[in-house]
Amino acid sequence: MDVMNPPSSIKFDNVSKEYGGFRALRDVSFDVKEGEIVGFLGPNGAGKTTAMRILSGFFPPTSGRVLICGIDMSQHPHKAKRAIGYLPEMVSLYPDMKVIEYLRFVARLKGVSAHELHGHVRNKMSFCGLLDSGHHLIGRLSKGYRQRVGLAQALVADPPVLVLDEPTTGLDPTQIKEIRELIRALGQNRAVILSTHILPEVSMLCSRVIMINQGQILASGTVPELASCLKDREAIHIKIRDRKDQDRALRILGSIPGIEALRVAGEAGGETFISFETSPGRDLQPRIMKLFVEQGISLAEIQRLQLSLEDIFLGLLKNGKSGRRFP
Amino acid sequence: MMAFFFLISGIFFVIPVLGYSKISMNPQQYELSNFPGINQTQYIFGSFFSNLSIMLLFLVPVLTMRSFAEEKRQETLELLFTYPLSDFEIVAGKQLGVSLLFGTLLVPLLGYLAVFRWLGGEFDWGPVWLGFLGFCLLGTAYLAAGVFISSLTKSPIVSALGTFSVLLLFWLLDSARDVAAGPWARVFSELSPLAHYKNFTLGILDAQDMVFFFFFFLYFLFLTLRSIETRNWKN
Repeated sequence: MDVMNPPSSIKFDNVSKEYGGFRALRDVSFDVKEGEIVGFLGPNGAGKTTAMRILSGFFPPTSGRVLICGIDMSQHPHKAKRAIGYLPEMVSLYPDMKVIEYLRFVARLKGVSAHELHGHVRNKMSFCGLLDSGHHLIGRLSKGYRQRVGLAQALVADPPVLVLDEPTTGLDPTQIKEIRELIRALGQNRAVILSTHILPEVSMLCSRVIMINQGQILASGTVPELASCLKDREAIHIKIRDRKDQDRALRILGSIPGIEALRVAGEAGGETFISFETSPGRDLQPRIMKLFVEQGISLAEIQRLQLSLEDIFLGLLKNGKSGRRFP
Repeated sequence: MMAFFFLISGIFFVIPVLGYSKISMNPQQYELSNFPGINQTQYIFGSFFSNLSIMLLFLVPVLTMRSFAEEKRQETLELLFTYPLSDFEIVAGKQLGVSLLFGTLLVPLLGYLAVFRWLGGEFDWGPVWLGFLGFCLLGTAYLAAGVFISSLTKSPIVSALGTFSVLLLFWLLDSARDVAAGPWARVFSELSPLAHYKNFTLGILDAQDMVFFFFFFLYFLFLTLRSIETRNWKN
């Protein structure tokens, strides 16, 4: 390996996975480098968990190769698995073990030497804020603390690769904030791959996004890169003062060519919000205002929306179904 | 469970001891003219060991029911598979765990030897140790079957009932041997773990019996390995 191009921390090379006749993953390839936090997105059943399980060594792929820091998972599973810390979706740990016992057990499995064991486990516990809970039974801990134990076991033996499957589900807002801060700190000198369905979390934490649908990679890139894929769409939001005018407004908007995805976005205090999508460059605002004034509908607000990751995701998903692929 | 095991095994020990003392008080009554011909060790320990094998029907399902089923129920198995361990190491570890537990249950049984000695029994060490060895082999073989059944389900209760049924089937195989005639009798007696175990309790050491238990154990170890491999293709 040359020095300028260190091997990727995670490399998926044409990975496919079949269960019986069902193809959960089809020829998936991607790389993650050290210092990157990559968000793994996709609707339920898209193959996220399958990909995570292959990555963590839970089961091997049907075809293709997985390299962890240049180590082939199928040829040296022990070595490759030692380089990975995995936090599964349902953090299920042995309920009748004490926190410290469990972490010592994991440390021994991952080959932490006996004289380092004590200090190492204490270090991970203090990082995850578990020093006071060492002698509690895991089964008695709250969900947030169990999540911390899950994270601590993933960090044991300092793996260069972290795989986190839905790390913040089921936590309260304070805990979510804490876990996110831990992940951000961890991502500085590791490769982190993070699956989640909370999209704002991805914008907050991840340097790059991989979107997966029906077992295939739909799009991959930074959030602005993905947004630029959808430059041909623009979301517009309209607020109307009087709810009684809603049907008339919808009829007017429906008659204007070039307006898609017209819908009532919400109602509050007698006011109605209508949203629709159109192609950019078509300046529809003056026309809409004119038509509304003619019909006597009082318009409170008309606004062009920034595409959020949700919109990007849904847009890509919709276009992806029609067979389009993104860089 | 342990207390229950010791209680019942104690009863199994006391019954032949009392029975023997009854016979030895009054041999003529039982039409045993040449009384010294009856071997004390064989009378007491032979019957003790063959009764003890019935205990395994209840003990083994309880010892093995949690081994894989509980891990599946708690979903802790998923994380275990991602640690640097091979499937063989996981199965061997589970097997070793239940075997050691079973072994510690046997240690106090050695106390009966002391009691027997204290009662003034004459000892024939060979058959006694052989009996213990046979019981260990039978137990370990049954445990392998129990661990396999535990790996098939995510409910410890189902695992215990399944193991109990399978062990009951093996036990019936031994009875079928008495009923069946001709070549079938031979097939049943070769397949029945209890028939092979009986030789040990009688003080007969036969390589065939050792080989039988060895392969019985390996077979179920292999099945367990295949069973946990199903995660690779089953959704």
